[in-house]
Amino acid sequence: MDVFTLGLWALRIAFVVLIYVFFVFVARALWQDLRAGVAGAGRPLARLHVIGAPEGRPSPGTSIPLDAVNSLGRDVNNSIVVDDSFVSAEHALLTFRGRAWYVEDRGSTNGTWLNGQRVEGLLPLGYGDEIQVGQVRMRLERARQE
Amino acid sequence: MSAAMLALHRVGIRPRMRGRELVLLLVVAIALTTGWASLQSFRSSQLEVGDAWLLATYLGALAAIHLGFVITGRRMDQILFPASALLGGLSVLIMHRLPQDLAVQSIAGRVLELGPLQLLWVLLGFGVMAATAILVRSDGWLRRYKYTWAALGIVLLLLVFLFGEVTGGARLTLTIGPISGQPSELLKVILVVFLAGYLAENRWLLATSSTSVGPFKLPPLPYLLPMLAMWGLALAIVIVQRDLGAALLYFLVFLSLLYVATRRASYVVLGLLLFVAGGAVLYQLFPHVQDRINVWINPFVDPQGSGYQIIRALYAYGRGGILGTGLGAGLPQVGAVPSIPAIHTDFIFAALAEEMGMLGALAILGLYVVIAERGFRIAATAADDFRALLATGLTLVVVVQAAIICGGNLRVVPLTGITLPLISYGGSSLLVNGAVIGLLLALSDRAVEPPPPGARAGVARRLGQRVRRAGGKFEEAIS
Repeated sequence: MDVFTLGLWALRIAFVVLIYVFFVFVARALWQDLRAGVAGAGRPLARLHVIGAPEGRPSPGTSIPLDAVNSLGRDVNNSIVVDDSFVSAEHALLTFRGRAWYVEDRGSTNGTWLNGQRVEGLLPLGYGDEIQVGQVRMRLERARQE
Repeated sequence: MSAAMLALHRVGIRPRMRGRELVLLLVVAIALTTGWASLQSFRSSQLEVGDAWLLATYLGALAAIHLGFVITGRRMDQILFPASALLGGLSVLIMHRLPQDLAVQSIAGRVLELGPLQLLWVLLGFGVMAATAILVRSDGWLRRYKYTWAALGIVLLLLVFLFGEVTGGARLTLTIGPISGQPSELLKVILVVFLAGYLAENRWLLATSSTSVGPFKLPPLPYLLPMLAMWGLALAIVIVQRDLGAALLYFLVFLSLLYVATRRASYVVLGLLLFVAGGAVLYQLFPHVQDRINVWINPFVDPQGSGYQIIRALYAYGRGGILGTGLGAGLPQVGAVPSIPAIHTDFIFAALAEEMGMLGALAILGLYVVIAERGFRIAATAADDFRALLATGLTLVVVVQAAIICGGNLRVVPLTGITLPLISYGGSSLLVNGAVIGLLLALSDRAVEPPPPGARAGVARRLGQRVRRAGGKFEEAIS
């Protein structure tokens, strides 16, 4: 085996190996993203403060931690169960997308209300805004800084 | 802070380092240079890099685009561009390696052969990508005019039906004055824009069923019409254009988007049943569809005729083995005849797989997986439904196309002639895929204009409502 044959073989293998090195760097970037995601996972994105609930479920004054996607309704499969006789089984959806919170109605009987206005389509909401589903009134609040 | 930085700040430009992208681009540059050295060394029988102006130009362009992103301070995805750059670099490399007379074109008085010609198209494609990524700051122009886009797409399709030229048995190429191109490439993007707009608006209605046919729960008839129209469109493309690849791509992307928007498997099952039914009818009626299926099942029935191309490709994988023959050492032509017909367009994957081996071929597929991962991540973090569906659709258009043609090359699915995104020779394909990647980058930018609050009652939406109301009346009348 002369130097040329060996060198050419090395170059040819190195070429394919280097593409795999690219994958290693991509995987490392993904791992970092994932770790950053896990580090922030324990902390809720925001809270929903219950202002008023005539039937007491959820009880007024409690503060519910929110994930990126929160479904509200009377059905037990919702992430936030609102057990009020004027609330539909699948009532509303509260989502954090990009940098803002959005609320949408899931075709409920009595509607979802944002600051006294009926929600149609997708509506953005800010901290301090009031949502009403059925007779239950709730306020979106920032997650407390620890 | 230097004086230059201050001057930039004064005009409202804040440069932002993109460290991850820079590191990945360096790996890309080293890998491509090694590949180039391996090719040149094989050709000249001594270890050298040789005359590398093609490669140097390409790497220079990558550096310029990276610098452009840094200076404009865009906070976009940092992995998508290097992954595309590696695919584009492999394209330049393999086109330089293939027989140069496969494509010759004279542009502005200069005769360009395959390698330089492909470099020109790749650079133009990446130019479109960078321009789209930097300049697109709002998606309103896509969101608001979705029915206009759909109309444009249909006009484009009709033009091809009427005036298209036949290349390789399919009616694909449209020539207007000095410009010729393949509109089916552009059509796939228009289709995704329309579907994203339509599904974002009617998602809830499609997801909550009201009528049921047998075991399937279906949405009201007026909302089902676009689906049937889509199915008809795919059939029309197969019948009139004889373009099986594009039809398959459109239909698969459509079904996937529908599933993503509604999370209902019954639509996918129904769509696949329609697909199988349509496919069976086409198989009976059209000899070219029969050919494709028969060649796929057993190419060795007619080894010198219809099976020639795929058999040659199978031999090429055999020669390549696991590690490959090395760049330049494969067998792209016998005498003056390319060993695999259409090796620089439809069968570029076979050429790469022969010379880079199974490991190289898997790496190429892996790059498309990286693009898919980034695209779906952009979709998952998008600010609203339209953007999420748009990003999903754009990603699918690239990776499903790659899957269809690689599967065809490997005889996993019947072969249909479409390009391998970002690698195959061809201007239309590179420009459109550049724009797709550029749009994905723009959508990933955290500083773009937030989506409009709620649903806007634009002219197009009102028109849509009117059409739906008419459809509703039609349904009432026939029920």
